Amino acid sequence: MPSWLLLLLVPFVVLNVVIGMVTYVTLLERKFAARMQSRIGPYRVGPHGLLQPIADALKLMMKEDIVPDAADRTVYNLAPIVFLIPCMLIFATIPFAPGLGVGDVNIGILFFLAVSAMEIVGLFMAGWGSNNKYALLSAMRAVNQIISYDLPFIFAALIPVLLTGSLKLGDIAAAQQGSLLKWFILYPVIGQLAFVMFIVSTLAAENRVPFDILEAESELVAGFRVEYSGMKFALIQLGEYAHMIGSSFLGALLFLGAWSGPGPEYLGPLWFLLKAMFVFLLVTWIRWSFVRIRVDQILALSWKALLPATLMLLISTAVVVVWRTGGF
Amino acid sequence: MTEQITFAALAIILVGSALAVVLSKNLFHAVLWLALALTGTAGVFLLLDAEFLAAVQLLLYAGGIITIVVFAIVVTERLIGERLTQTNMRIGGGALISLVLLGFIVNVLRKSPLPAARPEMSVDLTRVLGELVLTRYVLPFELLAVLMLAGMLGAIYFARPED
Repeated sequence: MPSWLLLLLVPFVVLNVVIGMVTYVTLLERKFAARMQSRIGPYRVGPHGLLQPIADALKLMMKEDIVPDAADRTVYNLAPIVFLIPCMLIFATIPFAPGLGVGDVNIGILFFLAVSAMEIVGLFMAGWGSNNKYALLSAMRAVNQIISYDLPFIFAALIPVLLTGSLKLGDIAAAQQGSLLKWFILYPVIGQLAFVMFIVSTLAAENRVPFDILEAESELVAGFRVEYSGMKFALIQLGEYAHMIGSSFLGALLFLGAWSGPGPEYLGPLWFLLKAMFVFLLVTWIRWSFVRIRVDQILALSWKALLPATLMLLISTAVVVVWRTGGF
Repeated sequence: MTEQITFAALAIILVGSALAVVLSKNLFHAVLWLALALTGTAGVFLLLDAEFLAAVQLLLYAGGIITIVVFAIVVTERLIGERLTQTNMRIGGGALISLVLLGFIVNVLRKSPLPAARPEMSVDLTRVLGELVLTRYVLPFELLAVLMLAGMLGAIYFARPED
């Protein structure tokens, strides 16, 4: 196979697998949430509701596409695409097994963080372009929240980088192979604290409960996507879920040893997927257990607790790393 | 060849979006064009094998700075109570200044001949960058940190509640 064909084929496959995963992850979340609340969840379409995501996608495709009169047409129409692109690009640097991925570049984790920081542009375009006060309020809250939680997220993600000494995601995963004790979540004290901080800031970055002030149903209807319908709404949902899955993969890679697991080597991607789904379900579990907190509480939590804590942890990790490599 | 084509495409995007930033009347559109221009700059860095700079460009400029500018627009618009528009009254003077600047840059470039081919990169640029910043250039690095701290203290001073 010529190399340029491979260059096109791998991203194509990854992109489609991600889209397929998004459709079924929604079902997983609904089933999981239903079980938590002693319900059954989707059950009618197909065996055990397995065809429900397909039905949902068909329904969204057939819906009327409405553009509000007062909307800024270009910005409004472009917003879902601008929002979706970074959400899909984050999968570019994730290696799903040794050497299996779109491109395991040597600044992998930085690329992930940089691209996911771009999401705010699409989000704000949606909020502003709709020309709706709820959407604008939601976009403003999003800006607030993302400025506040970007730094703790980056610092928490940098701790495995410090422990490995490489920004390349493949290297970070390779450093955790061999035994269970090598997983960074089992690194004494630092690992557990970093994982908790990573999960908290991931929740905020994904705008999940308890940090979902920007789509707070009871006050802002649906936030920045209130005016969207049909496929544009579907694109925004797709982006959000793709971002969640991407963050879950990142969490599994940074702290849970990526593709390490028992059995032959070709089971690696499966273990990675299972770990990513574990992180996803952890986030879902939190989502369905907690209540939404106020805007000022969210900001206070970030600036007064999480940011100093992650900074302290980062500095202590640096000290530990230098001490263990005999730098003192 | 591909490099030239990519550069030409990036240049068109960059110049076009930069012009749109100053020429569009709608302030919010100007910010969006600015986001495109900054992303295009990251593309140029990527073309020059400076991946680290490209990622930082996206993270800080296209992600961070745009967020802050948007925030500033929304907050000031609410204070004034009307839509802000950008005026182009001094377009002649602006064009003159940018032409002079262009002439200056062209002049400098002509005096110092550039190498025909890019030197091959043999080391991990990101690692070298990190090492240099923490060894040889540690003083400017720390001074920058102090500058940032001063800026933050100033911002907090202005934002404090009136008593």
